[in-house]
Amino acid sequence: MNAMATLSLKADAQRYFFGYLWWVLEPLLWVGVFYLVFEILLGTGRTDFLVFLAVGKLTFIWFSKTVSQSANSLLANRGLIGKMDAPKWLFPLAICHEGFYKQLAVFALLIVLLLFKAYTPSVVWLWLVPLAVTQYLLIVGCGMLAALLVCVKRDFQLLVQLGMVFLLFVSGIFWDVDSIGNATLRENLLLVNPMASLIDLYRTVLMEGSAPLPTQWLTVLVESVVILAFTVWAYRALHYWIARRVVTQ
Amino acid sequence: MSALVTLEHVGMHFAVRPDHESGKHTVFEGINLILDEGDRLGIVGRNGAGKSTLLRIMAKIYAPASGTVTWAPGVTVSLLSLGLGFKNDLTGRDNAYLAGLLQGLTKHDAKQGLAAIEDFCELGDYFDEPVKTYSAGMRARLGFATALLNNASVLLIDEVLSVGDKNFRERARESLHQRMCERQACVLVSHADTYIQSVCSKTMNLEAGALIPCDTP
Repeated sequence: MNAMATLSLKADAQRYFFGYLWWVLEPLLWVGVFYLVFEILLGTGRTDFLVFLAVGKLTFIWFSKTVSQSANSLLANRGLIGKMDAPKWLFPLAICHEGFYKQLAVFALLIVLLLFKAYTPSVVWLWLVPLAVTQYLLIVGCGMLAALLVCVKRDFQLLVQLGMVFLLFVSGIFWDVDSIGNATLRENLLLVNPMASLIDLYRTVLMEGSAPLPTQWLTVLVESVVILAFTVWAYRALHYWIARRVVTQ
Repeated sequence: MSALVTLEHVGMHFAVRPDHESGKHTVFEGINLILDEGDRLGIVGRNGAGKSTLLRIMAKIYAPASGTVTWAPGVTVSLLSLGLGFKNDLTGRDNAYLAGLLQGLTKHDAKQGLAAIEDFCELGDYFDEPVKTYSAGMRARLGFATALLNNASVLLIDEVLSVGDKNFRERARESLHQRMCERQACVLVSHADTYIQSVCSKTMNLEAGALIPCDTP
């Protein structure tokens, strides 16, 4: 799985003129586009909007891009699946692993941006590790689930893309979830959308320098583990069905 | 002789339209087969008879729709076919390395095998170019060479002898024959009936959903 991810990263880098630089260039450009629209054109009124946006967008891209790419991973590897009795989760997991390596560079970029904007590093920033691990588990669970759904019906490919756009708007990337006046609605949003909760937690740690609420973090962790456990169970139960479905589609 | 793989009343069917589970096409049913140690079994049959599906069941890729398949303890099975098992953006070398790992080799063994593959598939500098730049023949040659990268005790070989030019085909047959001799048992599927009869100890015909023994060569 690791070899599949690293070889794919190497091939990906060789495909483009800027090679590995795209790992940070692409997320930066996304932040630039959002900054242009929401700060320069619309004006948010937040003095820390660049960092606020960067923390939200740079962590959300990791989720959205990896899950979208994982969605097609089973069908894209039908040749290998039809030739060998490999565990089927291997293919979406390799994509998730690939995304994880790229995100390490993005997190480094985020830290540089925080230091550049005069945020003081503190021991609380170490919370970045459990938060990133939690997000990785969520990504693996959702990526595997998306790949399985696309295997069931190709239509899910379109729905996954649409779902990512929907999540982009409801995860508090360019707006603050605390701005929701109705406290119950805010709590429900954080409960049903683990990405909104994670982005809120990243901001608490990196921008406010405070430890996250344990209950909020544990809720996301439990949700991620439940999604992952369900998909692992489904992959085990549908092992042979997936091979037939992928090969005969 | 002991049975390595045993098929009892094995049947298989597919949905007629995969997107709509509206009906099913029975590929075969009631197949009984015992693959013993030392067997060199050839299977012939027309296109669509279910030869590849049967091999996939024996290779643990598909579960049969009915019946049971039993593998003797410790038996490892590998399917050798020329399907599209490559990642187009990776070079031939990287694909060959990956194929070795996916077939259960250690990193060291997979790397060790690269020189032999490079030599065998005669791709020259193209071995370090992305597979997407290869012609169909070059892909097939790389596919054949990488498919041999495993230590499985039972080798299932699916239509791999139509690879490359005449010279390469001769070498492929020679190499395949050598690999077949090294394994505990082999099943070979091919349209080249004469070749099958020359290397296999028994031949069967998959016809009308049933496996029928052919005359012993």
